[in-house]
Amino acid sequence: MSGDLLNLTLRIWRQAGPNAKGAFRDYQLQGVSTHMSFLEMLDVLNEKLLQAGEEPVAFDHDCREGICGMCSLMINGQAHGPDKATTTCQLHMRRFKNGDTIVIEPWRASAFPVLRDLVVDRSALDRIIQSGGFVSVNTGNAPDGNAIPIPGHVQEVAMDGAACIGCGACVASCKNASAMLFVAAKVSQLSLLPQGHPERASRVIDMVAQMDKEGFGSCTNTSECEAACPAEVSVTHIARLNREYFKAMLITEK
Amino acid sequence: MFLNALTRILSLPAVGLSRIPGLGPLVRACSTSVGQKIVMAITGLSLCGFLVVHLGGNLLLYAGEEKFNAYAHALHSQGALLKVAEVGLFSLFAAHLGLAVSTGAMSRMARSQSYAMKESKQGIFALPAGGASSWMGVTGVLIGIFVITHLLDLRLKMNPLVKYPAPVAAAEGMTPELNEFEVVRTVLSSPINAVVYFIGIFALGIHLTHGLRSAFHSLGLNGRRWDSLLKCGSLLFGWVIAAGFISLIFWSFAVPR
Ligand code: HEM
Ligand code: FES
Repeated sequence: MSGDLLNLTLRIWRQAGPNAKGAFRDYQLQGVSTHMSFLEMLDVLNEKLLQAGEEPVAFDHDCREGICGMCSLMINGQAHGPDKATTTCQLHMRRFKNGDTIVIEPWRASAFPVLRDLVVDRSALDRIIQSGGFVSVNTGNAPDGNAIPIPGHVQEVAMDGAACIGCGACVASCKNASAMLFVAAKVSQLSLLPQGHPERASRVIDMVAQMDKEGFGSCTNTSECEAACPAEVSVTHIARLNREYFKAMLITEK
Repeated sequence: MFLNALTRILSLPAVGLSRIPGLGPLVRACSTSVGQKIVMAITGLSLCGFLVVHLGGNLLLYAGEEKFNAYAHALHSQGALLKVAEVGLFSLFAAHLGLAVSTGAMSRMARSQSYAMKESKQGIFALPAGGASSWMGVTGVLIGIFVITHLLDLRLKMNPLVKYPAPVAAAEGMTPELNEFEVVRTVLSSPINAVVYFIGIFALGIHLTHGLRSAFHSLGLNGRRWDSLLKCGSLLFGWVIAAGFISLIFWSFAVPR
C-alpha cells in the first residue's frame, strides 16, 4: 500500500472510571498510514499499548460505517473531527499532517458522565426517547405502502429529521450542552407524519420535560449543533419543536 | 451549588405566579427550558417594539426644538397611562434579564467540565467566537449598564456629571418647565455619556442582530419561504436601530446651541 506515513502526537484523555480523576496523556505514534480511519489509528495505538503491558484507550464504536452513532470523539476541539457531515469512524488520517498533535477528548456534558477514558454514558438520550411514548406499527405482513398518503415533500423533511443517529455531537459541540437538536429531530419527524399525530402534544411536552430532567442546557439558537451534526440535521427542526411546544402549551389538553 | 441556588431564586417569581388560581399549568409550561425561551422571545420582541417607538420619537430631535418638545409634552401628559407603560416596560426588562440568567445558569450546569480545546465548524461572521450568539450575555450586560445610566440621565435627571439646563417659564406667570430638547442635547453631548451611550447602543445592535432571529426561532416562527429573509432582516434591524440612536450622539455635538 502506497501513501504517506505520519508521525503523530496523540494527547488523549485518560480516566480509569466514572469517579476517578482524569488527565491528558501524550502518546507518540509512528508510521500511521494516511489510508487508515481514525478509529483504526486508535486500534494501532491500543495494540501497541497492550504489547507494552499498558491499559488500552477505551472508546465507543460499533458499525464503523457512519450509521450507528456509537463513535463519539472530540478531536482537536471538534465533535467527530474537522470534516463536515462525517462521523469519527468515517474520518481518515489523510486529513492530518505529519508531526501533528491531535487532542482527543470525550463528549463533555453533565448529562453524559465519563465512564472510562473516551467513553461516556449517553443513556440520557435513550430515556428522552422513552419518555416520548411509542408509535403502534403492525408487524406481520408488510403494510400497503400507500395505505396512508403522505406528500413527498413532507416525507422528505421527516426523513431529514429521522437521519439523526443519536451520537450526541449536537450536545458535545453546543456551548450550552443542549440536546435540542437531538430532541427536535425526534419530535419533528413524528409531528410531520400522520402516524405520529395521536400523541403529538403529549410527546413534545414529555420529551422536553425529560430533557430538562437529564440536565441538558438551554438552546440559544447558535446553530453550532447543525454545523457539527454528522447527519446534517437542520436547526429548522428545533424551530419545529418550539412550534410544537408552543402549540401544545396553548391549545391542547395535556 | 451556587448556580443551583441561583436558579432556585430566579424561579421564585414563577412559583409565586403559579399560585394564582388558573395560572398554574401555563406557568409550569413556561418554566421548562423551551418555555423559558418562549417567554424570553416574547419579552425580547416586545422590547424591540418599544425600541422602534422610542427611536421614532427621538428622531423628532431632527425636526427641531418645537416639534420635539411638543412630542415630549404630549408623552408626559399621559399621566396614569404612562405609569402603566413604565411598569410594563420595567417588567419586560426584569423578566427578560431573569430568564437570560436562569437559562444561562442551566447551560452552565449542563457542562461541569469544559473542553481543553474547542473549535467551531461554523463560518465566522461579524465577530470572533461564533458571531453575535456567543455575545448575548456580554452585550446584554452592557445594555443593562447603559439603560441604568440612561434612566439616571433622562428619566430621573440625576446624573451628577451632567449640568442640566434650568427650567424656564414659557411666559410670565406660568410654572417653569424643563426644555426637554435642551436636556437631551446636554446629556448626549457630555463626553463620558457620549462614550457610554455609544458602547451601550453598539452592544444593543449586536444583541439584536442575533436576538431578533433567535426570538422567531424560539417561537417556532420560521419557514423555508423566509428563513434567509429573517437572517438578513435581523442583521438589518439591529444595525438600523443602532445607527439611528448613535446618529443622535453625533447630532448632539453638531446642533447649534
Ligand atoms: C432593549 C433591550 C433588549 C432587547 C430589545 C432584547 C432583545 C432580545 C431578543 C429579541 C432576544 C431573543 C430571545 C430568544 O431567542 O428567546 C434576546 C435574547 C437574549 N437577551 Fe436580550 N434584549 C434586551 C436586553 C437584554 C439585557 C439587558 C440582557 C441581559 C443582561 C439580555 C440578555 C439576553 C440573553 C442572554 C439572550 C439569550 C441569548 C440567545 O437567545 O442566544 N438582553 N434579547
Ligand atoms: S461507529 Fe457507527 S457511526 Fe461511527
